[in-house]
Amino acid sequence: MPQSNTQNKKRSAEDAFGERPAKMESPFMPMFEGFKSELDEHHDRRERIIKASRDITATSKKIIFGLQRVRNMKQPIPGAITKSNQPLWDLISKAYSSISTDLQGLNTYRYSKQITGGTQEFMEALSFQHYLEAQSLVSLQEASRSTADLGGPNNPILLSEADYLLGVFDMTGELMRFAITVMATSGEVPSAKLEVEGEQSHRNVLTDLRDVRDFLKAVDVPHYSSLNKDMNKKMEVLETCVVKVENALYGLTVRGAERPKGWLPDEKMVGRDEVVGH
Amino acid sequence: MASNTVMVDSSIFEDIQQKIDDDTAFNDELRETVQQLNKQVRSAQAALSQVHAIPRDQLAAHITKTQPLIHAEITTISQLATKASQQPYYKWNHVWTRSVQDACFTILFAHYAASSALLTIEDLGARLSIPVNLKDRDAFHLTIEEYLLALISLIEELARLARNAVTIGDYSRPLEIARFVNNIHAGFQILNLKNDILRRRSDGIKYRLKEVEDVVYDLSLRGLVPKEETKDEEMKT
Repeated sequence: MPQSNTQNKKRSAEDAFGERPAKMESPFMPMFEGFKSELDEHHDRRERIIKASRDITATSKKIIFGLQRVRNMKQPIPGAITKSNQPLWDLISKAYSSISTDLQGLNTYRYSKQITGGTQEFMEALSFQHYLEAQSLVSLQEASRSTADLGGPNNPILLSEADYLLGVFDMTGELMRFAITVMATSGEVPSAKLEVEGEQSHRNVLTDLRDVRDFLKAVDVPHYSSLNKDMNKKMEVLETCVVKVENALYGLTVRGAERPKGWLPDEKMVGRDEVVGH
Repeated sequence: MASNTVMVDSSIFEDIQQKIDDDTAFNDELRETVQQLNKQVRSAQAALSQVHAIPRDQLAAHITKTQPLIHAEITTISQLATKASQQPYYKWNHVWTRSVQDACFTILFAHYAASSALLTIEDLGARLSIPVNLKDRDAFHLTIEEYLLALISLIEELARLARNAVTIGDYSRPLEIARFVNNIHAGFQILNLKNDILRRRSDGIKYRLKEVEDVVYDLSLRGLVPKEETKDEEMKT
């Protein structure tokens, strides 16, 4: 009977691996008991951080989504959008403070792989809002101050150079989306219509986008680092973003003159502009 | 409003580049020390691989001869500790953790070969003169994970040793190893491991245990188990 045979085999395996330690306590048990509680503590912390990071990512995405409703730049964010985004910023700050004690001292860098996703997405939202308000790139220092505050008093949250750079890369995708939407709806490339001390500003989203690209391209990272790999991947995306905006602007220049003033494209036209962008 | 006239204040990226360059320089320094350690680990491993071919009565002398090699590893680890403690431990831990695990393995194996005993994590930390499982401050130390991974390497080595001991006529070694591996296996079984390297590597322990028990089975089937060991076993069961 093959069946009873396998059962026998299974039982003998249990003898060998299961029952013997129970009969004769391993002298190493106390040591392993210590390891068990340390590892459990570590895994619990790790899970908490992973969960918070996911929440922060999702909430930051919602904030960015709200900010994409903005149509003008270098102006305060419209009240309605600020109002709907504020609870989201608060949620992020709550998520960070719930784990900020887990990310102090020795553990500051221990879980960077687990938290970086959330922090990058937060950086994306922060730098996008900063751009819309000030038409400039938020500095690492300023952004670090914002993340530090999120942890609550005495438990600053770290913003690494990698978090910053990768967040800025992602933000350029939002600039592209913002530029295309504004061009499609207003027929003009978004730029601040400001005269700075008598001088006409020639900057618009496209020139700004190129600026950021050039600075990011010049960053010299060791080839063996994981940051280098991540940046190379994101640089490809950034290049296509610039091209998409360039193509959209070309379309606007060629056809724009034919459009009557105040004419708005319908859904299909917006879609076509974007296809041209590819 | 000068700050508003440009998109990117160039000092932003100058600062970042400076930080990246500093990190690269520090990383290079660490790597240099780690490469030295790797070389020493290879020498120690080569010397210790003789354990598989040397009869037990000459083993203590051989292990004594390998001590300078192990001492060289320990010296390099303390240099690494001094250097690494200048910066956050977990920012750089990935640079050396593999090499430190390998060095720990050579120390555990040399100790077991000579005395059939296990160095605890505290013993090992004392040998290396570094703290273990540090929690209250940020400095160089030996982590639990590193110790456990070195322990798994030891078990893999002992599974080979059980067979090779038989080849050179040492029939009591496999029984000792079987008991030892069994006890370690029991310890690992109470750990709640997540899907990480420790989990993947510890999954192999049960196969090593089976290999060793097969050797013991082969010996007992042929009546080759030494007398006092048989009595010993009977008393325990």
